[in-house]
This record gives sequence, structure tokens and C-alpha cells, in this order.
Amino acid sequence: MIAFGCAVTRPDDYDRWAGRGIALVREGDSAVYPNSSAGSIFRAYNLLLDLAGAHEDLEALVLMHQDVEIVDPDFCAKLRAALSDDEVALVGCVGALDARSMAWWEGAVTWASFTHRYYEHGGGELPAFAMHPDRVPPPAYARTGEVDSIDGFMMALSPWAVRNLRFDESLGQRLHGYDYDLCRQARAAGHKVVTADLKVVHHHSLELLADPENWIAAYVALIDKWEQQPVDAEATAPDWRARAVHAEAEAAAARTLRVSLHMQAGARERELQRELDEMRASASWRATAPLRWVAGRLRSRREAGSGG
Amino acid sequence: MIAFGCSITAPDVYARCAEPGLRRVAEPDSRIFANAAAGSLFRSYNLLMEMARPLQDLEALVLVHQDAEIVDSDFCGKLRAALTDPDVGVVGCVGAIDVRNIAWWEGSVTWASFTHRYREFGGGEIESVSWRNSGLAAYARTGEVDTLDGFVLALSPWAVRNLRFDEDLGSQIHGYDLDFCLQVREAGHKVMTADFKLVHHHSLKLVTDPEVWINAHMKVADKWEGRMPGIGLPNYGAAAGDWKQRARRAEAEAGASRLERMSVQMQGEARERQLQDELDLMLASTSWKLTEPLRRLNAWRNARRNGSRG
Repeated sequence: MIAFGCAVTRPDDYDRWAGRGIALVREGDSAVYPNSSAGSIFRAYNLLLDLAGAHEDLEALVLMHQDVEIVDPDFCAKLRAALSDDEVALVGCVGALDARSMAWWEGAVTWASFTHRYYEHGGGELPAFAMHPDRVPPPAYARTGEVDSIDGFMMALSPWAVRNLRFDESLGQRLHGYDYDLCRQARAAGHKVVTADLKVVHHHSLELLADPENWIAAYVALIDKWEQQPVDAEATAPDWRARAVHAEAEAAAARTLRVSLHMQAGARERELQRELDEMRASASWRATAPLRWVAGRLRSRREAGSGG
Repeated sequence: MIAFGCSITAPDVYARCAEPGLRRVAEPDSRIFANAAAGSLFRSYNLLMEMARPLQDLEALVLVHQDAEIVDSDFCGKLRAALTDPDVGVVGCVGAIDVRNIAWWEGSVTWASFTHRYREFGGGEIESVSWRNSGLAAYARTGEVDTLDGFVLALSPWAVRNLRFDEDLGSQIHGYDLDFCLQVREAGHKVMTADFKLVHHHSLKLVTDPEVWINAHMKVADKWEGRMPGIGLPNYGAAAGDWKQRARRAEAEAGASRLERMSVQMQGEARERQLQDELDLMLASTSWKLTEPLRRLNAWRNARRNGSRG
């Protein structure tokens, strides 16, 4: 039996997206746990693990954010295929190799079969590279399989993972880094983390980082936790001063590049806005306004007629 | 006598930007040294200082970037006023206090009387905090600062004769301004802002080569840490001597900034897409297409009118 769990802070979002996706793919015997969120996502997910772990016939627990919608009718079959290897503990639809921190996307991303749907600026979507292979051929580096870390917006856990791993509430975080930490735990226990071609839509704002201070605290806590492990053996006796001097320079450069990008985006917006304003102010556009008004009225009447 | 110097890598940029400004403000006895760049900016500026040094009546040497245009007709008067205090070693139009590294703009900026004019995306400009004299921010004030933005630096005769840009820093262009200001301050002299108005004709790309910039950041920190109060301290979040914590914190900050950069890029693209869709809709509308001959006729008439004027 494949179970689904979600920590809900905004019931409307769950109904519109996660709930709809689960309804699309759940099987007759699937258990679905839409829980209200208890404190951090670490704690809320641990509760879901406890609930799912009690099912003797559990094949997998799919944990997903409330703003994630599964749109893949073959989801359960693909998930079973990915979990047919007993060593697999976690399955996701986005993942990367050589993930050295919770910013796993700064590693080598190998798979990303999701699309980011946003609602600002009139709405739109930014499909990741493996979302629509029929329309956009995936790049040469696209492949499913073993990775270091997956994106936590949708993670499927094997029964072993459900019964043997827990999200680390001692990290003191509300939201960030739980995915990377769980992947590290799974790999430290000798299990695999893999990606599979599961298609989902992430309904998310274009604001990727709402709380930089919390994010930074989570990053530091996770480095502190995992850097002493053999995986990063080369960093066990680092020259901290050199590392700090370099990192501070890099951080300042990153901030400056961000400002630069912001300025460029603003300039491009002003350019297009200027063009639009010029067109709207032109004599020909103004002179033909009555025509557009009439056409608009006719269109709405036609639409009202066909709708009724 | 006020001398002006510029290190030129792109003669057309100099002709379009710095040169008109220098001609605007130069006095009859002013010397203008327009040199081809000799290696790094550090080396080029040292050469300009060597050329100005023997001038007996030198009041100041103004070093400007080739893309910086002085648009203040009272520039020389304002510079002389700023240099009346003999302790002043260098004057600029943008500066900050509590500067801890070459990213001086991450300190507390007190004055910035320039506008950033760019040519990308149809062109435009971004005015700095004290470009206009009306509606100044509460924190805007000229006076002593820790460092200046190097796109215009006016050096006192003492500075010309006693200091040099540190070519050992090895960077092409970055960090020379902070390093020079630190030298001035270490020698007991003052670094000041004054209300010069300049236009900085610059791309919106603020850092073209992050690796070179990062190296300059590290070298200047290495040189001055422990030698000048404040330099090399972290911006926040860790004790000065706790290198491990500082490394952790800064690596996280860099990661967060990179993520925010992605966010800014996505937001920009989304906004662009929205406006482009709107534009495409208007361009494809029947009314716009129907009136196209009228616009062509209008453009032809305008061109004829302009042609007959010319």
C-alpha cells in the first residue's frame, strides 16, 4: 500500500494542489494523511512517519508539500519500480550528485521532472529540464538514478526509511534542510537515494527565499552536523581562516551580482513598459479605441451566449 | 593648478564620457593626462601620479575612470573648498563609513552624488542617493568617510607625492580605492566626500569577473586586517576571531545570496514575459495592423521634416 502524507498550513492550497494530485494517483487502498502542521516540518513529518509506519502492508510513504501537485497518472507504478531495489530508501523527482550542503542544487543536478508554476506577474510556468521531454529534449546530463540529495518538496520513503529514519528536530529549524539531512541519514546507513521520472507541478511563488536568516542558520547547523563525517574527509582539518576569508569574499560577490541582476531586470522591465506606453499613447491606438471597445463587447456577448 | 588624469582602455568610451566632462571643468591652466592603460589600474594610476608630481603649482590630481563624466560646472570650486583642510588626502563624490572590505557599499553610505547611466535595454539611469539636492535622505552628508568609490578620486598634492597605488595587490582593477583610502588614513590624513556631480556611464553588469573580484577582496583583507580598525571584520553573525564560525556563516550567506539571485532572475523573466505578452497582443491586434500605413506615413513625414532641418 502506498500512503500519502502532507503537513498542511494552508488548507486551501492543499485542496487546490496536493489534494488534487493525490486524488489523481491514489489507489483504492492508499492511506492519505493531510495533517495540520505541528510546529516545524521536521516534527510534522515525523508524525506522518509514525502514522504510516503502523501499516504492515506499507510499500511507500509519499511526503509532499501542500503546494505540490502530482500530475503523473503512472506515479504509483513508477514509484514501485524505483523501490524494487531493496537498498533504495528515498525517491524524488529532483536530485543532484556531489551535494555538499543543503544547497544541493549547487551540486550536479541530474534530474528534475517538475514544473514551477507561479502566480505573480500574470502567472506562468518555468518547466525544469526533464518535465517535457517530448517538447524540449533533456540535456545530456539528464538521467534518473542514484543521487546525493533530492528536493524535499516530494519525497517517497521506503518502508525501511519510514521505520528507521527520523527528521532531525534538534536542528531547530522550521523548514529548511530537512531533505538534505534525511538523504544524508539514508546514505550514512548504507541505503540509496534515487530520482525517478515522476511528474509534478510545484505551485510556488518566484520568491525562493523568504527568510534568509533562517536559511543561513539551517545551512550552518547542517554543515556542523555532517562535515565531521567521512564523506567530507578532505575538510576535517581545514584552514578556517583561509576558508572564512574566501567565503566572505564570495558572499560579498554574490550579493553584488544579485544587485546587478536586479538592476538589469528593472531596466528590461522599464524598456518594455516604455514601448507599451508609447504604443498606448500613439494617435493610431487612441483613434481605434472605439473599434476595440465594440469588438470587446461583441466578444463578451458571444462568450456569454455560448456559455449559457 | 588642478590636473586631471585618466587611464584609457577604450578610447571611444573616453571620448564619449570622461573627455567631455574634463573639457567642461578644466581651467585654462589645468593639465589633462590621458594615458593608455599600462597593465593594471594600480600601475596606470601610479604613472599618472608620477606625471603630476613634478608640477610645482599642483593643487590636486583628479583621477577619473574613462566612463565617468563630470557634469558639475563648479567642480573645481567645490574641490578647492574640500581641500582647504590640509589634512585632507583624497576627495570623492561617493563614500561610506564602517567599511570592512572592498565591498565598501556594504558599509554605511553617507554620500553618493552621481547617477548611473546605462545603455542596455534601450538605456536609462539609476540615480544615487544624493544625485539631486532636493529630498536628500536623512543620512546623506558630505564629510569624512572610511573610503570612496574610485571612479573619481581627487588627490591632494601631499597624496600625489607620498602615496602610491599598491601594485602588489595584483588585481586588474578592484580594491585600489579602498586600499588607497586606507593608506591615506593610516598616514593620519582624511578621506572626504564632496558634492561633485558625476555621471557614471556603466553597464548594469556590476561584476564582470567574480573570481578576480573575490581575489582582490581577499588580498586587501589580508593586507589590512589588524592594521586598521574594522577592516576584515565580518559583516555580522560571528566574533572576529572565530574563523570557523565566520567561514560557516559566510559560506551560508553566499549560498543564500546565490539562491536569491535565482529568484530575482526568475521574477525578472516572469515580469518580462508578462509585458512581452501584452506587447505582442497589441501588435497582433486588428486595429494596430489596420493603422500601420498611417504610422509609416507619419514616420516618413517626420524623417523628411528632420532631413530638411538638417
